[in-house]
Amino acid sequence: MQAKLEKKFPGVVCSAFGDSVRLEGELTDWDEIVRCGKRAAKAGFRAVINDITLKGFVPPPMRTPALQDNALAEQTPDVLIIGGGVIGCAIARELRRWALDVLLIDKEDDVAMHASSRNDGMIHPGIASHVGTLRGLYNVRGNAMYTQLCQELHVPFERWSNLILYSDPIFGVGARFYLGYRQKAFGIPGWHVSRRRLQELEPNIAQGIRGGFEYPTSGMLSPYKLTVALADCAVENGARVSLNTVVTAMDVKGTAITAVHTNRGTLRPRVVINAAGCFSDTVAGMAGDRFFSIHPRKGECCILDKEAGPLSQRSMGLVGLAAMSATSKGGGIMRTIDGNVLVGPDAYEQPLREDFSTHKEHIDAVLDKHLKLIRGFHRGQVITYFAGVRAATYEEEFIVEGSARVQNLVHAAGIQSPGLASAPAIAEEIAKITLGRLGGQILPNERFNPVRTAAPVLAKLSLEEKQKVIADNPEYGVVVCRCEGISRGEIRAAVQAPVPATSIDAVKRRVRPGMGRCQGGFCSPLVAEILAEEGVETITKKGAGSELFVGTDGKEGADHA
Amino acid sequence: MPNSAAEKYDVLVLGAGPGGLAAAVSAHENGARVLLVERERKLGGILKQCVHDGFGLMRFKERLTGTEYAQREIDRFHALNIDVVTESFVVDIQPTDGTYLVTTQSAAGMCRYECKAIILACGCRERTSRQVFIHGDRPAGIFSAGTAQYFVNIQGKMPTKKCVILGSGDIGLIMARRLTLEGAEVVGVYEIKDAPAGLSRNISQCLNDFDIPLHLSTTVTEVFGQERVEAVAVEQVDKNFQPIPGTRQVIDCDALILSVGLLPEIELPNMLALPIDPATKGPVVDQTMMTKAAGVFACGNVLHVNDLADWVSVSGEAAGRSAAAYCTAPRTWNDNATALQYERGDFLYALPQYFDPTASEPLTLYFRSREDVAGKRVTLDLGGEKAAFSKKYRRLIPSEMEAVTVKEAASGTVYQLTMHN
Repeated sequence: MQAKLEKKFPGVVCSAFGDSVRLEGELTDWDEIVRCGKRAAKAGFRAVINDITLKGFVPPPMRTPALQDNALAEQTPDVLIIGGGVIGCAIARELRRWALDVLLIDKEDDVAMHASSRNDGMIHPGIASHVGTLRGLYNVRGNAMYTQLCQELHVPFERWSNLILYSDPIFGVGARFYLGYRQKAFGIPGWHVSRRRLQELEPNIAQGIRGGFEYPTSGMLSPYKLTVALADCAVENGARVSLNTVVTAMDVKGTAITAVHTNRGTLRPRVVINAAGCFSDTVAGMAGDRFFSIHPRKGECCILDKEAGPLSQRSMGLVGLAAMSATSKGGGIMRTIDGNVLVGPDAYEQPLREDFSTHKEHIDAVLDKHLKLIRGFHRGQVITYFAGVRAATYEEEFIVEGSARVQNLVHAAGIQSPGLASAPAIAEEIAKITLGRLGGQILPNERFNPVRTAAPVLAKLSLEEKQKVIADNPEYGVVVCRCEGISRGEIRAAVQAPVPATSIDAVKRRVRPGMGRCQGGFCSPLVAEILAEEGVETITKKGAGSELFVGTDGKEGADHA
Repeated sequence: MPNSAAEKYDVLVLGAGPGGLAAAVSAHENGARVLLVERERKLGGILKQCVHDGFGLMRFKERLTGTEYAQREIDRFHALNIDVVTESFVVDIQPTDGTYLVTTQSAAGMCRYECKAIILACGCRERTSRQVFIHGDRPAGIFSAGTAQYFVNIQGKMPTKKCVILGSGDIGLIMARRLTLEGAEVVGVYEIKDAPAGLSRNISQCLNDFDIPLHLSTTVTEVFGQERVEAVAVEQVDKNFQPIPGTRQVIDCDALILSVGLLPEIELPNMLALPIDPATKGPVVDQTMMTKAAGVFACGNVLHVNDLADWVSVSGEAAGRSAAAYCTAPRTWNDNATALQYERGDFLYALPQYFDPTASEPLTLYFRSREDVAGKRVTLDLGGEKAAFSKKYRRLIPSEMEAVTVKEAASGTVYQLTMHN
């Protein structure tokens, strides 16, 4: 293998590292480094640790909160979950079905700050995964759990079918067998749809589309609302969430983690769960269980105004043969649960794990590629765009297992697409593994309530229901966000929630002011006012450092108060 | 049903900025029973945050601040004891057999009003950084000029110490001066086009007087900063607005303020499925300000973005007059109304889009030239023996709207605006 790799990638050295293979050396092109890692992943080792450096590039350190205190010092939770994405939050809720002290930490100012709020919100049917993979297994299992989960959490969820479209009839014939095989292996309902049927399903579909495949179990939801709801429900059931909390080091004695050092004090958890997304390899390394590497795969998406929403009813993407075997489907268009249209994402390899910048080339390419699928879509409908980073391993596979080396470490790592669809199933599995690692007899939490207390969402209520809600609390009558029709009561409820929104973006993730066509122009000053009323001292967009206001003495607005 | 029976009015005016206030007063004075509905806490619309002067030269023959202008309109409105509800948000409008049923949401609950006519006076909104495809990081510190103005003038909060302003729209120019006066450094105003978008007087009074440079044919192409804006990249652009290689410059700043255009706020027109003019981006109307939905009128910035509040008041008065007249003598949209013809190459837009010869309201026509032109004659043909209007303009520029009032009656079989030498 060394010889093979060296021929193609001169200077790369590989060595055995436990049962993984470690790559070292220096290359001048990031894509080469990723290709080298992928090649090594085919060599039959457990996983690839890719330490090849990029010439002239110093990877930026993980961004960490400035906060320093001892709020968590000497705490001894039964379970410490590192990472407040959809996986970590789902695990926290799942573990509270048991009488366990559960603490979830995240380095950001809110949950769902990375991939969990930077994806398309699609609950994949599972057809995009290869047979025999964990990605396929958890996707199909997780998908089936969503109807009930979203009912319990009061998270809007719709099973809008997914269409895989083709323009080349030869591809259509081939795909029928290929997709049919996966459908049968995974037990996914789905069928071929003719051009004529397609025209009935999606009257605005482009002329060149010759047919497709429909998957009715596909669904849509808001990924950040779901993550927040999981966290809220976990907290309502007694789990704790500590934000702005980053793990700086771990003490490992023998085969056990004895201490976890954070910026908020040293903890001594019984079991540690690694749900750290793009930094899951870093966390594994801190625990002395470095056996895989994350290569951050970025994607950029656009959101279209609600005016475009009614033009299509489903999620869909045009695929060719290349896309079927690729690691990512290449995005598409999908009607979001809130009535907008999401276009994208694309997928490209780059070395930065938390760079959420967007680029003209990528956004233009995404729009050029997908907007033409539906007649009536155009660039003028774009209201915003964003980027996210997928936590991909070189095996392109989830890691859902107890650590082989460290007795009290459990990995939910390398969770990329379809991580959102898989989250409930992964959480269930991780909870099982964790119980095993904790050992002894663990009693069920008799008081566990799977149902989240949810504040009313005015826009979804009938006139009579609105009247009742407003009669109970007049603040629900006062509309703050004119684009989305969101009331002061709804915003205040988000600020007072179990995992409280403390920034403009955190409010936006929970109740949407700023998500509409004005993008916060009208409502952000009013949201800032409510945050201040609720005791948030410094108004930020997304946590410390992102203050909205400036003052000459460092205190916001001090010289203008 | 909420709040028992619907309260009955002749005219509901939606929006209490200068257009809505003038419309409510004018409808009232013409004999209609009027309710003014405002979604914000206070009356006055965007004028509430306009502490700068330059308002009222036409209407009051005086130089007023926006807040003074608004207060005069508000005082006049209150003196007439016209009904008004504030913090009331229209959630539904249903046509019902010659009347409209309007539902609002407020702290009082869901209220319903039945009216014969509606005047849409919902103003405009700012284009966002996303609509002009700004890329790079997404830190705090990217504000539209109107939002920055709200922070400074209403909330007394400073959103920047050192900023770059993209776009030379009037609010951007006003904010360049305002922020400078409040102690911030405005590095420059950058405009992608080769001519400023705002009024000449604002260029002179807000930029030149404060030595704030205006960079034409230059735009912001990237934003840097993880938490808060740290810098922006600016680049010069060619005729097709494409960046010219080698002109990129990175400017340190803590905010990017955008003044990249205003768009009519057409949520309510959309709710009523009114046809929208792609040129004005507002609903299509005839010279009475009636939209294609009988009894629904529109005025001010929801029709097209005006550069002076005074014009907004003028159109509000016209709409109020027409709506009151409609209440006593209802009419339907005249399918034989003559559509306005003009060369899109000569005019950015012109309105009203239709002339209804059977309606009694005189015609006030608003237009903007597409280019900066000198010595051109603009002629309006309304089918009379001679032109309804013809004038040689020393200069016409897109950023300054022109208005023409035609008093003489004409057949209206032709409705054509032309620009020639």
